[in-house]
Formats: sequence, C-alpha cells, structure tokens
Amino acid sequence: MIDSKRDISRRAFLKATAAGAAVLGMAGAPGLAGAAEEVDLAVVSGEPAAATRKALEAVGGISRFVRKGQRVVIKPNMSFAKSPDIAATTHPQVVAAVAQACAEAGAREILVLDHTLQRAELCLDRNGIRDACKGIPGTHVLALQDRKFFQEIKVPKGKVLERVEVLRDILEDAVLISVPVAKSHSTTGVSLGLKGLMGLIWDRESFHSQFDINQGIADLATVIKPRLTVLDATRALASGGPGGPGEVKKPNLVVAGTDPVAVDSYGVGIVPWYGQSFKGRQVEHLLAAYQRGLGKIDVEKLRIYRGSV
Amino acid sequence: MRKTIQALSLLAFTALFVLATYRLPDWLPADIYLRIDPLLGLNAVIAFREVIGRALWSLVLVGATLAAGRFFCAYLCPLGASLDFLDLLLFQKAIRPPLKGERALRRWKYALLAAVLAAALLGVSLAYLLDPIALMTRFYTFVLYPLAVALLNLLVDLLRPLFGGLGWVGLAHAGYPQPVYYMTGLTLAIFGAIVALNRLAPRFWCRYLCPLGALLSLISPLGVFRRRVGETCTRCMACRKRCPMGAIGEDPLTTRSPECIQCRDCAGVCPTGAVAFPPTLAGMGEYGRPDLSRRGFVASVGGGLTMGFVALRTPFVLLEGKRPLIRPPGALPEAEFLRTCIRCGECMKSCVTNTLQPCLWEWGLAGLWTPKPVPRLAACEPNCNVCGKVCPTQAIRSLTLEEKNHAKLGTAILRKESCLVWSQNKQCLICDEICPYNAIVFRPVDGYRRPFVIASRCNGCGYCELRCPVKGESAIVVIADGEIRLKEGSYIAEAKRLQLEFKPDPGDDKFVVEESGFQLKERNNTEKAFSPDKQGEKAAPAAPGTIPSGKPKGFL
Repeated sequence: MIDSKRDISRRAFLKATAAGAAVLGMAGAPGLAGAAEEVDLAVVSGEPAAATRKALEAVGGISRFVRKGQRVVIKPNMSFAKSPDIAATTHPQVVAAVAQACAEAGAREILVLDHTLQRAELCLDRNGIRDACKGIPGTHVLALQDRKFFQEIKVPKGKVLERVEVLRDILEDAVLISVPVAKSHSTTGVSLGLKGLMGLIWDRESFHSQFDINQGIADLATVIKPRLTVLDATRALASGGPGGPGEVKKPNLVVAGTDPVAVDSYGVGIVPWYGQSFKGRQVEHLLAAYQRGLGKIDVEKLRIYRGSV
Repeated sequence: MRKTIQALSLLAFTALFVLATYRLPDWLPADIYLRIDPLLGLNAVIAFREVIGRALWSLVLVGATLAAGRFFCAYLCPLGASLDFLDLLLFQKAIRPPLKGERALRRWKYALLAAVLAAALLGVSLAYLLDPIALMTRFYTFVLYPLAVALLNLLVDLLRPLFGGLGWVGLAHAGYPQPVYYMTGLTLAIFGAIVALNRLAPRFWCRYLCPLGALLSLISPLGVFRRRVGETCTRCMACRKRCPMGAIGEDPLTTRSPECIQCRDCAGVCPTGAVAFPPTLAGMGEYGRPDLSRRGFVASVGGGLTMGFVALRTPFVLLEGKRPLIRPPGALPEAEFLRTCIRCGECMKSCVTNTLQPCLWEWGLAGLWTPKPVPRLAACEPNCNVCGKVCPTQAIRSLTLEEKNHAKLGTAILRKESCLVWSQNKQCLICDEICPYNAIVFRPVDGYRRPFVIASRCNGCGYCELRCPVKGESAIVVIADGEIRLKEGSYIAEAKRLQLEFKPDPGDDKFVVEESGFQLKERNNTEKAFSPDKQGEKAAPAAPGTIPSGKPKGFL
C-alpha cells in the first residue's frame, strides 16, 4: 500500500516536472491532488543500501537532481579511520547506493570527497567507503588534505564568516549531494548534514577558536547548498561523537530531502543524544540556520513519506 | 654482471624502504638489510647484553662470508653500490694518485670497529654512526624520502592540468603528504662527505673507514674463493690499478685477502687471463691476516671505552629516571632503548603520521637520531603499529595493534593558563573532539564546562596536542608521566594491572548531562537577538537569560 502510493506520487512528480501541469491530470490517481508538490522528507527503514535506494525514489528519484553528463560531488562523512560499526563515518553501503544511483542517472563524474581529520590514506583504508564504491562507473573516492585543492569564496550573508576556502570541486557546475552520518558532537550537540559541510572547507580550527561555531555553520550553509541530503541513520553515534567510540544505536533509517535544515531537524529526533531527547530547535546551529531562512525546522509541519524495505 | 647485481640490490633496498609504511604486511621484513648486518646485530647484543632475535639473522651473512668471502661489499651493500655508481658519475675522470700512508689508513676501520665494540661493552651504542646500512637508511629517510615526495608533488602539480583534461580524476587530485624531519642537513652532510672521499680513492669509505667491512674482513679470508694469478701474468699492473679496494699488493701475484671483496674486476681486466678465483681450502696465508697493530688495537679499544664513558657520565643519564622525552609506543625502557636503538631511521620513515622525529641534542650524545614523537607536529595513530614492525633490533617492540594501543606513551596535561576554555571562557572542545580514547571530559567549573584529562584513559597519542588551536605551544601537552615501557610481557596485561582503560566506556559523556546546576555561557543567550523569525514562530525555545541546565554542548 505504502509502496504503490509512493510510486504514484513519484511518477506524478516526474511527469509534472517533465511535461508541466497538464500532464498531471492524466496521472489522475485519487488522493493526489497535491502531488505536484513532492514530500519534504523521505524516511525509510531497512538495510542501508535498499533503504537508501528507496529514500531516493521517494524524494522524486535521483534523476530529479542529477542529469546525464553532469558532475556530482557526494560528501559523506569519512573523516575518521574507523570501521562503520563505530558510526563515526557514513555507512559505506549508503554512500555506494547514492553513487550507484548517480551513475545510473548518467552522471559523467562522481566524486566522493571529504577533507578528513585523520590521515587521508588511513581514512580511505579503514572506513570502507572506497571499497564499497569500487566499480561504480565514473566514481572516485578521494580524501583531500592539501590546501591547493581549496579555493576561497565570499560569504555575502555571513555573520561571522566573510570568506571561506572550499573544495574547488564543489564549485562551478557540480551537483552536491550531502550524505552525512547521524552522530553526536561534543561541540555542536549533533553532527548531521549542516555540520558535515565543514568537511568541505579548509580552515576548521577558526570555527572552534575564533568565532561561534554555530553561527559559522549557518554561514557556511548560506554558500554551500547541497541539492540533496541523504542522512545515514542506519546507526547513530548517540554519544562520544564526533570521533567515537561511543554509544551506537541502530535506528536503521535513511532520511532524504532537499531541505538540509529539515533533514537535520528530523535527524535530531531519531535517537536521544547523550541520553536526552531533543528537537531540531534545540540544536543551536540548526536554529541559527533556520533563523537565516535556510530551511524548515519544525518536523510536525513537514510532509514526510515513511516507508520500509 | 656485478653492476647488475649491485643495481638490483640497491633497488631491493629501495623497494623495501618504500614498502615500510603502516600497510606493511606482517610477513615482509622491510628491515632485512639492517637485520643481516652483523655489526649492528653484534653491537646491539653486546650493548643490550641479551640475545636479540632479529639480530640472529646476521648469522646468515656471517655464514655466507665465511664460505664465500667478503662478497657483501661488492654486490649487496647499498652504500657500496651507491658509492660505485656515484663514482662513475662524479669522479670517473679524476686522477687519483696513491695515498700516502695507505697502510695506516687501512687500519682505521679496525680501530673504529674496536672502538665501537668497546663502547658497546659499556652499553653505549655508537655503531650507528658508522655502520653503512644504518647510514644509508638514515640518508634515505631524512634526505632522499622527503626530497622524492617533494619532487613527486611538483611533478603531479605540473601535470595536473593535463590529468584534468584527460579526465584522470585520481591523478588530478593526487597529492602526497610531505614528510619533514629534523637532522636532514646533518645527515646529508655526512653522506656527502663519504661520497666526496671517493675523490681521493675509489671506495675510500669501504677501504679505510667502514667498520662493517672491517668486521667482515676478519672472517672473509676463510672463504673458499681465492685470487690466484697464473704464470701468464706479465706484471702489467692493470689489475692493481683496477682493484676498487686496493687489495692487490705491489707484487700483483699477491692479494690482501681481508681487503678482497670478490668483485673479480681484476680477472676481467687481465689481458692474459692470468687471474682466477678457484675454490681452495688453504689457510689464510701471508696476506690473510687483518692489518691491525697491537698498539692500534689497544688505542682504539681505549678510545671506544673513553667515548662510552664520556657518553655515560652526563646529566642526561641522571635524568633518565625522570624521562624528559616521550618515546614511540612499545619502546623498551629508556636505558635498554638507548643501548639497542641503532638510529637507522626506519621507524621514522614508516611512521604514518610523521610524528616520529630524530633527537638532536635533547638526550645528549647517547640520544642522537633516536626517535621521539613530536605531537605538536603529528599524533601517534591508533590504526598503525609499523614502528615496531620495522625495528631491526626491536628497540621498539613489534606489537599487535591492540597491544600497541595499550603501550601508553605518556599522559596529556592541560595547561590551564593557556587553554582557551580555562583562561578565556571560549567555546572550544577540539581536544575532546579529536581524542581517540575519550580521555577528555568536560566538567562544570565557574559556570562553564571545562576540559579535564582522565589520565587513566589517556594513551599519550598526542592528538589533543596536535589539534589544540592555541597558537604557539599547545595548551595540552603529552608528557612522559605514566608511560608504559616494558622489556617483555603484555602491555594489555600491564594496563589492566594499572587499571587503565584505553577502550572507553561509551556512556561516559552522560555524566556531563547528569551534572546539573551549571550554566552555559551568556553568549548563547544573545542569539535570540538575530532571529527575525519569518515563519511567525513565537515560542522561543528558551527564555533569554537562562539556559536550561544539564544540556550537552550545542543544544539549547
């Protein structure tokens, strides 16, 4: 039942975008009067790869974001040389499923990138993402730790950041897809999609030492805008984040959406962090991003597709 | 033929050197050249006063030399090969008149050997200064390796547009972490001097100075292959001129067998084919004995003992118990470590993070080139245990990853006067964020959560010291206090005995939440000031001026 509903809404959506509102009438399924508007979030439970595929379908299919011949940058969290069970890094199967979908959509080049905290080679060796993405056409998993790969951009709406050096590969025409893992964070409470954007910049130290990191993250979100965020909550590092080890919970969820604040806000409610339940509004950097008009924060007001595989 | 073998040997040496990374498989002895070196082995065993397993490999070379002579110098020694090749490159046309006092010069290497071993008797390791394999490994580590990476990066940078254009994404993003070391200049100067001495005589180093050559020459005349000159000899002296070791006497029929390295160059140049190396079982013969006078021997042993004495009678030794330095994980207790370490640099080369650096004078003469972690440069990586794996004398013990992660390097201490949180009430938790062992916790003090080190969890890896954003000296530093240095036995068992816990309890952070009655800083509360709430939301999550207590950081 859930399946068919999802299928129709996706089809309806595709047709609507492809052929305009006139086609929508032809879809004509009952209960789909508002189908031109897609869901805000897709929340799918199940095995990492299957749940990811289904979540992608539920938000309109990857082809809504990635077109033939485009360059895609997938930004997972692969900052640590830890195995997936520590939950400090994105599940390899989630990353691979997103990359695979991009490849199937005809992406010319798929770069899986992160500016890792630990040595690049160690991270790539240990967190399993490079292995999982092996053989996916056009896909390259790269951990970049040299300043020469970064380029300074302005942050016109920044409150604490005036300019920031970001990975050059995300500039120009690249389609950015953020694939964070759900984890606690000793400074920012949680580290989900928005906090994960710090993996695309060069200088992170100043966020901790020179200005308020929460405002810094919101500033960053004004210039780095993923087209899609796929939150890996197959496991959640509920304490001891960001690097672990800590308490690993197993929500078995993948959350996808175009609104980075909404995805994160939903992610906050998935598990208790440090033994306490929170809402998105209680996370300082999410609130800051919301207050800048970067997305929706109240989960109750979101249109959520829920499914399982 | 000889050049080919030399080139192959140098290539093998280089390949093993390149392979000495944290990915090194357990079965591959990357340090094999160092292990088969009997001088390093003997020196370490004498100084350590115990048999070292890996040093027994040198019996292979001892046995081979007993059987076939001093062939190692001609065919296998990477320093010998480098000198031969560089000689072709630099001094091929140089006119080298015979040296004055050649015979006395020849004795030098025996004197140095005796001095080195005498010092080892006192427990001072000096062989590293002059051993060719250690010299070569140091030269590779501190000079060639950083240089090669720099050149590689330069090349990749130059070709990057091309790679990009061709769509070679991996290469277009290639970049190699540049290793850096102290002592690069000094190491280069020493190697340069050894090469420059070739200007005076081919293989000057090997003929007159090399203590390993001296050691091998003590047994090589027992080898079965002897130079024999037949009756067709015309005394043209071509062989004598050609011999790289000066092993042929004024009478070309004679051979100083200790000096002969079995290169057979003399046989090759002989116009009448009079020179041959038939297997023989005769004794040493007239020129078979190493050339060292009794007086010279006594003088050099005395010199070695004096040097050893001088190296031992320093304040450094008195300070030893106070451990001014931290050492790599698995390093033997300091006294044994200094006796055993041969300063080859292999651990520093293979160290994945480049934290291991050679000591300058921090530990005096006895500590030159010994490895120490410099956490401000890089941390000791929990995923890596290569330093012990490649240590040819096991001055750093080869440990499994789990054992190694219990070999506590020291303990981090907070310098509150420079810590941003303690001294300036700033919001910084980098040390906590980065700590792989969860050894840093935050406790409320004076209205702010402030970092503390749980010493029993701190492994001394130094990630906190590395990442501390305070400019200049880190506000959290690793000191040797609490280090675990075991000569034998399990680090896991020792850590358990000391009630240390390097695999932290995941629930630990909870206590931060459970602690109540403290407030976050005022700054958080002013945030309401910027928030033109477009959605018309009215309910602010918290009343200005107060923050719900007991929330983890980052939550309102």
